[in-house]
Amino acid sequence: MAEESHLVETGNGPKKRSRLLKGKKAKKKQRMVHGTSEKIKIDKKMKKLFQKRAREYNSDDDDDPGITAENENLLSPERDEVEEGNSDVDDAEIEVSEGEGEEDGVQPGITKFTEGCRAFRMAFKKITKENLTADPLGPVLSRQKRLLAEKLAEEESEQKVKGESKKDKKLVQEKGHVKPDKYLDSHEKFLIGVATKGVVKLFNAVNKAQNAQKGLDPSRFKDAKAIRKRRKKAFFSELSKTSAPAQVDLVKVIDVDEIVSSWSLYSVMLLGLSKRDKPSRGQGDSEGPTWAPLRDSYMLTSSKLKDWDKMEDTSLKEDGAGVSLDSSDDE
Amino acid sequence: MARFQNKKRKVFVKPVVNKKQQNVDHVTGDKIPKSFVFSRGKLPSSLKHLQADIRKMMLPFTALNLKEKRRNNLKDFLNVAGPMGVTHFMILSKTESAPFLRVARTPQGPTLTFKIHKYSLAVDIAQSQLRPRSPKDLFKNSPLIVLSGFGTGEPHLKLTTVMFQNIFPAIDINTVKLSSCQRIVLLNYNKDTKLIDFRHYSIRLQPIGVTRRIRKFVQNHQVPDLSSLQDVCDFLTKAGYGSESEADDEAATVSLASDVGRVNKASTKSAVKLQEIGPRITLQLMKIEEGLCTGGVIYSEYGNGGNNKKQEVEGGDIEEGNEDEEDEDVKDVEEDEDVEED
Repeated sequence: MAEESHLVETGNGPKKRSRLLKGKKAKKKQRMVHGTSEKIKIDKKMKKLFQKRAREYNSDDDDDPGITAENENLLSPERDEVEEGNSDVDDAEIEVSEGEGEEDGVQPGITKFTEGCRAFRMAFKKITKENLTADPLGPVLSRQKRLLAEKLAEEESEQKVKGESKKDKKLVQEKGHVKPDKYLDSHEKFLIGVATKGVVKLFNAVNKAQNAQKGLDPSRFKDAKAIRKRRKKAFFSELSKTSAPAQVDLVKVIDVDEIVSSWSLYSVMLLGLSKRDKPSRGQGDSEGPTWAPLRDSYMLTSSKLKDWDKMEDTSLKEDGAGVSLDSSDDE
Repeated sequence: MARFQNKKRKVFVKPVVNKKQQNVDHVTGDKIPKSFVFSRGKLPSSLKHLQADIRKMMLPFTALNLKEKRRNNLKDFLNVAGPMGVTHFMILSKTESAPFLRVARTPQGPTLTFKIHKYSLAVDIAQSQLRPRSPKDLFKNSPLIVLSGFGTGEPHLKLTTVMFQNIFPAIDINTVKLSSCQRIVLLNYNKDTKLIDFRHYSIRLQPIGVTRRIRKFVQNHQVPDLSSLQDVCDFLTKAGYGSESEADDEAATVSLASDVGRVNKASTKSAVKLQEIGPRITLQLMKIEEGLCTGGVIYSEYGNGGNNKKQEVEGGDIEEGNEDEEDEDVKDVEEDEDVEED
């Protein structure tokens, strides 16, 4: 495309130039130049400089300035034929003016300069006409509108992509976040039921325990003693039911039924809430939980850690048989 | 004209309250567990809310306004935890796959890592309810904890139970006041799905055996509207709306040992009503580590953690920028020790 457009330009270039000459402005300029040339005396140095500048200026143009200058006269009739609406009078004028430029000793550089001016105007014309071609390297002004639209569209699409990515991000962030239903589904009801059972159990236990000591005032020494005695008795009776474990075992509380509340172990045992462990565990009980991390002394000493290692292995072997019985950490 | 300045005006000085909580329960003499709830890494806003909810749930023995900075690493918290008597850490973090909750005992572990499958915030729960309930002294006492379905005998479940039991102070049923039992935390283990449902309810006691109208009258202290009635007797005898529908479940009634509030008198029957407060979380136990977010893996969801202590969990592992290097060191040391012992 670019090449094509260039070709077009080269073709059009001279035509436009000629047209420019026909315009009133061009005439004016020429006249002005004439006027100045009369007043100011241009020495050789300046002349050369002007010429050089003019050459340089024109060298930017696609067509060779020298050729155009020489060929202009030859080409002009043809051009006129091609172009519509050109009056013969204008043509004559051009020829006259150019003839003048060639005749005058001082003029050539100036005319070249004016040609340069014309070239500049031409360039503008080109730019204004350019919008027909789709040349990416072409003039900026005419392209601006389309570029703007393109840019806007691009931005929009970018925004869209951004918005989508933001949405995705939000989705990732909100992962797992669930808005609950307005009603209680069966699972929630079940959970509430379980929790209620736990609360009821606790409250009943509290009731039972605190009713027993109702008449007694713990602040009075005698009563306090009685309470303590009673608790002790209950505690030992509870202990005697089992195979007399010396240590308090937390795991028993865990094994209590399905539901375990965090009321103190002692109280639980007092109330007989704690079911005994499965019979298979019987002998290991006195050592505390079989699994090391459950013990109070877990990780406190390295020797225990070592034992834990051993024990863990054995327990794993026995895993099929259920809960391990072994607790070999006894020194 | 000179401006008059009130000379009496004083600079507001925040009253210095020596809020030194005792580490030991004054009645039972047990050590009171305290907790920090914080996050590792950057959390999205919904998880931040969840963190706030968990803190509120852990009240009163937790740092409700614990400030954390990005450069704080676990060691910082640990250093503070010692003097403050903090026994448990609850650490929230977020990965690409899911948010994670770690529950750890300080200073030595173990650490349980839970994957949060689903969660709803307290706000969501309150929005879903017609009449969300929030008495003002709801969070003044620590909640009860009910663990259900954990009695399968598997060691990692036992450890979970112990961990959650000890995260709240134990109550002595001989001395406990029923009025201090306001909330309950439920952990329900589902054997089939291996998921733990975490719920937080408020406990409400209601006298039973009275019509709804009278109950409301006693509770609200408002003059009832008698315009539609012919006789005052009607107010007492006729059942209002809903009294039949609120069928009092026999299983949910308790006889109280002491008075609870104004309405529930001792040695009368009361119904236990639970209303959810939130947050609601569905957890899955992923792994258990020996130390505080370090050390060998005792249990892992992926494969047999107990068999090989040094086995690392590939999936669901939580990366932490600051700690990783330290962790590596600690691990190395431990492994060395193990070798020597063996």
